[in-house]
Amino acid sequence: MVMGDITTGTDVVVIGGGPGGYVAAIRAAQRGLATTLVEKDHYGGACLNHGCIPSKAFITAADVADEAANASGMGVYADPEVDMGELAAWKDDVVDRLTGGVEQLCEANGVDLIEGTAAFEDEHTVRIAHGGEGQGMETVEFEQAIVATGSRPVEIPGFDFADEPVWSSRDALAAETVPDDLVVVGAGYIGMELSTTFAKLGADVTVVEMLDDVLPAYEEDVSSVVRRRADDLGIDFTFGEGASGWEETSDGRIAVHTETEDGTESTYEADRVLVAVGREPVTDTLELEEIDLAPDDDGFLRTDDRARTDLDHVFAVGDVAGEPMLAHKASAEGIVAAEVAAGENAAFDARAIPAAVFTDPEIATVGLTEAEAEEAGFDPLVGEMPLRANGRALTMDETEGFVRIVAEADAGFVLGAQIVAPEASELIAEAALAVEMGARLDDLAGTIHTHPTLSETLLEAAENALGEAIHTLNE
Amino acid sequence: MVEQSFELPDLGEGIAEGELVAWAVAPGDHVEQDQVIAEVETDKALVEVPSPYDGTVTELHAEEGEMVPVDYVIATFEIDASDAEPAGTEAETDESSTPVDAGTVEAESAELETAEATEGGAEASEAGGAPGGRVFAAPSTRSLARDLDVDIETVEGTGAGGRVTESDVRRAAESASESGASEPASGADATPSEAEPVVVESAGGTKRERTLAMPATRRLARERGVDINDVPASEEREGEPFVTPADVEAYVESGGSAAETGASAERGASASAGAAAGGTGAGTNTGDAGAAASPGGERVPYRGIRRTIGEQMAQSKFTAPHVTHHDEFDASGLVDLRAELAEIADEEDVNLTYLPFVVKAVTSALKEVPYLNASLDEEAGEIVLHDEYNIGIAVATDDGLLVPVIKHADRKGLKELAREIDELATQARERSLPREAMRGGTFTITNIGVIGGEYSSPIINYPEAGIFAMGPIKKRPWVVDDEVVARKTMTISMSVDHRLVDGAEAAQFTNHVQTLLADPARLVLE
Repeated sequence: MVMGDITTGTDVVVIGGGPGGYVAAIRAAQRGLATTLVEKDHYGGACLNHGCIPSKAFITAADVADEAANASGMGVYADPEVDMGELAAWKDDVVDRLTGGVEQLCEANGVDLIEGTAAFEDEHTVRIAHGGEGQGMETVEFEQAIVATGSRPVEIPGFDFADEPVWSSRDALAAETVPDDLVVVGAGYIGMELSTTFAKLGADVTVVEMLDDVLPAYEEDVSSVVRRRADDLGIDFTFGEGASGWEETSDGRIAVHTETEDGTESTYEADRVLVAVGREPVTDTLELEEIDLAPDDDGFLRTDDRARTDLDHVFAVGDVAGEPMLAHKASAEGIVAAEVAAGENAAFDARAIPAAVFTDPEIATVGLTEAEAEEAGFDPLVGEMPLRANGRALTMDETEGFVRIVAEADAGFVLGAQIVAPEASELIAEAALAVEMGARLDDLAGTIHTHPTLSETLLEAAENALGEAIHTLNE
Repeated sequence: MVEQSFELPDLGEGIAEGELVAWAVAPGDHVEQDQVIAEVETDKALVEVPSPYDGTVTELHAEEGEMVPVDYVIATFEIDASDAEPAGTEAETDESSTPVDAGTVEAESAELETAEATEGGAEASEAGGAPGGRVFAAPSTRSLARDLDVDIETVEGTGAGGRVTESDVRRAAESASESGASEPASGADATPSEAEPVVVESAGGTKRERTLAMPATRRLARERGVDINDVPASEEREGEPFVTPADVEAYVESGGSAAETGASAERGASASAGAAAGGTGAGTNTGDAGAAASPGGERVPYRGIRRTIGEQMAQSKFTAPHVTHHDEFDASGLVDLRAELAEIADEEDVNLTYLPFVVKAVTSALKEVPYLNASLDEEAGEIVLHDEYNIGIAVATDDGLLVPVIKHADRKGLKELAREIDELATQARERSLPREAMRGGTFTITNIGVIGGEYSSPIINYPEAGIFAMGPIKKRPWVVDDEVVARKTMTISMSVDHRLVDGAEAAQFTNHVQTLLADPARLVLE
């Protein structure tokens, strides 16, 4: 007949509106759960606002300009001019459309949206502090919670993102001008993507990496393709040096100081320094101690294959729940969490999570490398197809790179793939499907691929592994 | 013989402890694996704890009524040396899974059997022998295995290269359910004294071994003399049947209780006497009754506002002993005055209904009877007499009743009240009420007159102390100077929390309200 504070009760509260959180919220609502999504910043999270999407917008524009300027081999001559202000406005428009879409989708599915920062008050209550002064607080009682707070760029000593010349990846993607000289600290995938982009947009880029190569997470023959192209673009690399600090110089620029392990110091003059040394999970706003939940030593919330934390009714998905920090992994976990919350028998049982790096050329991988397959106890069977033997690659004037398929020798089940090629991020989808379906080399080789396309390289690599490739020598 | 200690298993949902309500066994008793040995009540549910072993109970380490933390050793068993190994292994496995779930234990042993059975097959060991436990199967096949509770790593793959196919999984599930089905049967044969006295099939098929229900529901089932495991569940939680009080009542009405009374008495006896020999006298098959209790039909999820209302109401009704008071008064004066004032109000675009008058009268009465503008702080053991008069108004919406609150009703005039009520009701119907507008109420008024009926027994908007329901104003027989005449009267109903006030205060309150409303000129003085 009558009731009390009704709207403060919900079946599921989702904390964080990124690709893990909003997907979880929509799926939970689709399953009939009363769902509340709390977002402290912008819907879509780091991915849509400060990561994947804006970086791809910049990268595409930089590629267009770079390709046009370097097409003389095809008889095309151009000297494109990039208006960085207009580019940034276009990028912002793309981001706005996507984040607006996320908000509309949530609302259309009946997700209750609350803007603010959520912290646990007890095992079934979160307190939400609204953004902005005097916006107040509110409390939401929940049956189940899905933590999807994501991650943020890691700061290193001596470099404070609050200082204007020091860029995080987020700042770099909000840039309205291209710096003349840019020092990039870190040659991981974010460092390499942005180095390439800003080099193509006209910056003189110096990359400072503590380790001895670019993209240390990838195999040498994969990363070396990207490295060679970066060299061609005029990017300078210094390895074995760690950035130690920076200062303003008399002419209004900055000097970035580095140090080798044995104490040798160097200085690089620049206009901006981009620190891209990794990302760290965000748990400090949640007041996890109120529910006796603690992150592990790496700061992640450990979960089981149902995306549950140590508390059965509290889920964690996405970057906060562990590596790899990838948007599509977050979404997949979000789906699992929502379905388990709805009482379904869902589980995260993916065989492999594909990953893409939007360098030039792109890198994409899924599943096991040859070494990993061996380590796992398989007898690996490997097939490769170099890009230079693919007709479409030649017509794109892209001959650097290759496709490699790793299978197990017994029955030829596909275990993984590594691709360095233009559109590698798209090509990997087929390999991911093969791994996930338990497809065999025969299956890939027996599937007719469109000619002339880059995708034929997958068929060829599978045939090569079977010792029967047509367009390469089977040694 | 090997001694094994048994810790209270994980009770689920992050629950750290539970009250050991009753032991079903005593030292010296022989127990079968999966036999219920104790009942533990958490704030969420009453859980039956099954024995992980076949063996003899040597010692119980907790008293009935004691709060026992999870992982605390509650019993010691003596088990046969030959059984020690598998039982021990199982116990360890149990720690990571949910040992109180008898279904899981069954599934595990079924898997074990499948694994053993397939080890002989050369092809199967090839598939199972893939490094890192890798099974080659499509995501849809893996998902099917999950749904059928089949461990895909133990399934023999007959697809190309040993790939596990959908039919492989289905075959494995069938063979597992066959071996699983034989288990409870053989268990019952082995220990007739522990066999369920009545074999009742619930609507879903075989009788449940475990049922989720709130403690209050279990109490209700006990009072009605039905075994909660026989009651068809209308809901599912965490994949388990969840029985509601309504389910119990429906089952009782359908005749489920009659045959069950004997059985439940017997259960009670056997529980209290430890492992008493159970008779089999009441062996009537009430399967049909059980099935009839749950006729088909549309199933609407119990969620959102509907559930919030339900939970709120259940809490109120089960916490606050309600006493309801009814009365009627001559409302002719009120009708005249409202008609007169409404015209004036209309000029200012204010829709003056009877509600603002009632709000004023009720607020005045609350000042007379402060214990009705109060709530009970059970934790502190104090009655809180509120110093604000915030009146909640129940508004019917498509989704259920919402109760926006008029803050400081005592400081507002009729016009202001009318305006605010209008606004809040509109917002409630449009579902655009700000959360704040539904908080801080100290007393609630509901208007039952709109839809019809004379009186009601409203449920208090807990933790408030009372609720006032105004009935319809219409012509009713009324005695004036020993003559029965037609007069416009209003009926009123009011429920109060008997812990805070008695019926007399309720009457005092309604008298005050009636005095003011019967002679509404007095309201102007308020």
